[in-house]
Amino acid sequence: MPEVFTLAQTPVTAHSFSADRSQLAVSLNSNDAQILTRQGLEWVPTVTLSEHDKLITSIDWAPNSNRIVTCSQDRNAYVWQEQPDLETGKLVWKPTLVLLRINRAATHVRWSPREDKFAVASGARAIAICSFDPENNWWVSKLLKKPIRSTVLSVDWHPNNVLLAAGSADMKARVFSAYIKEVDERPAPTAWGSKLPFNTVCGEYSSPAGGWVHTVGFSPSGDVLAFASHDSSISIVYPNGPVIHNIRMPSLPIVSLSWTSEDTIVAAGHDCRPFVFSGSEGGWQEAGTLDDTTSPRSAEPRSGFGPSNSVGRLRTSAFATFRDADSRGQSAIAGSASPTADTKLLTIHQNTITDVRPYEYSGSNVIKVSTSGVDGMLVIWDVNAVVALTGRLGGAHLM
Amino acid sequence: MDNSFRKIDIDIYDEDALRDDELYETDPRDPAEVLQDAKQRQGAVRGFLAKNDIPGALTVILENAPYGANVEEAKIITLQSLLTILNTTKATEITGVVKLLSQDTQDTLMKYIYKGMAMPGWGDISGSVLLGWHEKLTEVAGVGCIVRTMTDRRIV
Repeated sequence: MPEVFTLAQTPVTAHSFSADRSQLAVSLNSNDAQILTRQGLEWVPTVTLSEHDKLITSIDWAPNSNRIVTCSQDRNAYVWQEQPDLETGKLVWKPTLVLLRINRAATHVRWSPREDKFAVASGARAIAICSFDPENNWWVSKLLKKPIRSTVLSVDWHPNNVLLAAGSADMKARVFSAYIKEVDERPAPTAWGSKLPFNTVCGEYSSPAGGWVHTVGFSPSGDVLAFASHDSSISIVYPNGPVIHNIRMPSLPIVSLSWTSEDTIVAAGHDCRPFVFSGSEGGWQEAGTLDDTTSPRSAEPRSGFGPSNSVGRLRTSAFATFRDADSRGQSAIAGSASPTADTKLLTIHQNTITDVRPYEYSGSNVIKVSTSGVDGMLVIWDVNAVVALTGRLGGAHLM
Repeated sequence: MDNSFRKIDIDIYDEDALRDDELYETDPRDPAEVLQDAKQRQGAVRGFLAKNDIPGALTVILENAPYGANVEEAKIITLQSLLTILNTTKATEITGVVKLLSQDTQDTLMKYIYKGMAMPGWGDISGSVLLGWHEKLTEVAGVGCIVRTMTDRRIV
């Protein structure tokens, strides 16, 4: 069974776990990032990272160097590091501003595999590749600009620390070289190319029916690229050829994906449930979903913190109606006897899933993934519990 | 409140603005060729309809349907032929027909259904027929098919 936590009554814009998964950094659709600590079956807020003055759009927690990077619509990124406070000696998270040099919102951020660089996607038709300059003790950025024609919505690093995939609202998924002379060793040739100066475009792909590209991801080996676009399709690209497998789905578009092994992808989005795709260079298909909508459910998800379930005296049906109208955009007025019952989706997530991330590894394969959603929930799924899809209309069915 | 500023085309002041035709691959065929092709298909559709082969007729008219700029006449001819097919199909047969179509054809059919619904009163468009097809097609191809109609810039 998936582990279900209600983190908040607000959307969870992005989430990222610490290396040991005892802590979780989330953006609850606000200017502050929260660090939550797991206590038994609950996530308790322990630290608030306040520095941004607009919505935080993306968070990434580097597992080895234990640094958090946040980026926001205020066009800034901060690197947060745990350091002893000068007066009390206690460990506190200290921010360092990054000079991104972009004039539109930052949309997505990811640490490189070696954690010496990170990439920030933005609405300024550019991707900032940031690396640390020890002489001046700050993070400097170099911009990938050509040939991006619109907002970049997502980035993902190749395991070689040099190549970067980017999905953009100009309907293209691209593979760039983000080689920084001061940081990187000369990379070995890959399937994407051998000569890789900064801003080399190693590939440019789009789905036949177009649609802005929501999410991109390299396979664990880095030899295959997957991207999902707003035409409700997912494409898997093998660079030699190139061979592109495009799977059109009957459901709503995917906004986030995560490879779990060289031949499996978990992806989720507006359909409120994670899909599993599997295949190889010969062909790819939808293998099913992790959300078994036919199995019996406990009535309420476990509470993470705050007033989500335990509203005490206010826990009446009228309160629930207004809460659902507010948090889920569900209105149940016209004479229905039990408003929550017939506006609840069959899926676990009750609204769009915003972020899919690897949660637990076994060797090089991911065995659990986590998803966060606009419904304020965090769900941890066992990737092997795949059930076949029933019904062609997608998960957005009401009970 | 004055909203007229929302109608100002700010892209004309941006030298680097993204143009519509950059968002899709333009049809390599010449407009005259496309028109010729559309007329030929119109004839082929009549043949299929005479044999009462609805899936065949739909496949012929919807495969490589004209899209993009400068092929308005071909688009209109295609729409006319398509409406003939849709209007002559019995409501009970629609689901069976739709299931026989390829994904590409289903997506293109959805585009034409929406095009038809955007032109009420034109030619022999019947709103109830289009809605009937829309319902059956959505049952078979899912809401993803509607999403693709909205995102695809290869407008028919």
